[in-house]
Amino acid sequence: MLREPRRSQAIIAAWAVSVFALSALTGLAALAMASAAALLLFRRGALREMRRVLLAVVPLSLGLSLASWTWLWLLGTPPPVAPFVALPARTSLIAFVTFSVLGRVDLLRAAAPFPTSARLLVLCLAQIHALRLLATESALGLRSRLPRRPGTRDVLQGSGAVTVALLTLSARNSRDIGDAMRSRGFH
Amino acid sequence: MHIPDGFLSPSVTLPAWGVAAPLWYWAVRRNFGTSSTESLPVVGALTAIAFVVQSIMIPVPGGTSAHLTGVAILAFLYNPGVAFVCESLVLLLQALFFGAGGFTVLGVNALAMGLLGPGAAWLVHRALRPLWPRAAAFAGAYVGIQVATLGVSLVLGLQNRLDSDYMPVPFSVMLPAMMLPSLTVVGVVEGLYTLATLSLLRKARLLDAP
Repeated sequence: MLREPRRSQAIIAAWAVSVFALSALTGLAALAMASAAALLLFRRGALREMRRVLLAVVPLSLGLSLASWTWLWLLGTPPPVAPFVALPARTSLIAFVTFSVLGRVDLLRAAAPFPTSARLLVLCLAQIHALRLLATESALGLRSRLPRRPGTRDVLQGSGAVTVALLTLSARNSRDIGDAMRSRGFH
Repeated sequence: MHIPDGFLSPSVTLPAWGVAAPLWYWAVRRNFGTSSTESLPVVGALTAIAFVVQSIMIPVPGGTSAHLTGVAILAFLYNPGVAFVCESLVLLLQALFFGAGGFTVLGVNALAMGLLGPGAAWLVHRALRPLWPRAAAFAGAYVGIQVATLGVSLVLGLQNRLDSDYMPVPFSVMLPAMMLPSLTVVGVVEGLYTLATLSLLRKARLLDAP
């Protein structure tokens, strides 16, 4: 049995190979078999990951496929349906495997032997988190200052000040995170 | 204009990874060593904003979507290498946590949206900046997004040439479907976004924005 971070690194390596292999599948039958195998392998938490795929991946990939099929159909040549079904099926399968694997590994621990990458990763995740917090706080602040529900115009008018605040805060935030990581040996 | 996982076969994605990997190594070593402490805060903030603006995607026919990238500004403020690393990081995070783009297509997406686009934007900006600084930023961002879109459509067209069962949309159909929204709407919005962000950076006094 491998110990961390080797275990997470081995799982990530196996996942990387498997997603490239899955991206080579073209037939619907092969994709259905691979999906069944993935469901069997990652049955713990499968419903949660399937819901995530359904919300995050399926709308866009299905939209792309449908838009492409409709575009070709409008141009006068009704294209075969199977390749257009295979496109979102492949995308969804790869996303399901990715989400399932990531739920089973410690990504930051696996990246720890690569300090620069780990520092960049932590910094960006922290910034994204700070950005979400600031956006929520700004929206609440705007709502509290107006007697009515803020419209698009109000949001656009307030966006400049919010972005300046975001940049100033995130600069401070990054400096703090950078200092904290350096003090823990990430150079 | 992310290409999602499963829209390109390994015959295209593996060579793209082969090209991108040494460039990532070189760009990280050159731009994100221990001497980068001062630039990291602004780079982190701009990367976070790029992450957000790229999350709003509109599907277009041909196998990809239309959206802003927000990375030309990183090329203007630092260099195309920084933009390449930051965009790759954005793409990696989106692929791993949000299912946007993907891991297998990371090389292709990063080369198109992180290197070709910002590289072209940087060249245009450098050429025009001494004459018209603001117009240079707008034109650079506009050209950058067109080059990135063209790169993505060329790769998807190549996939159709290699295996039309895998990617059934031919290049002749894909090119106008992808370039039209990019030329008319996305490029203009990207240019305006870049101008606005540069002005806000000056206001926030975070650095000497051009």
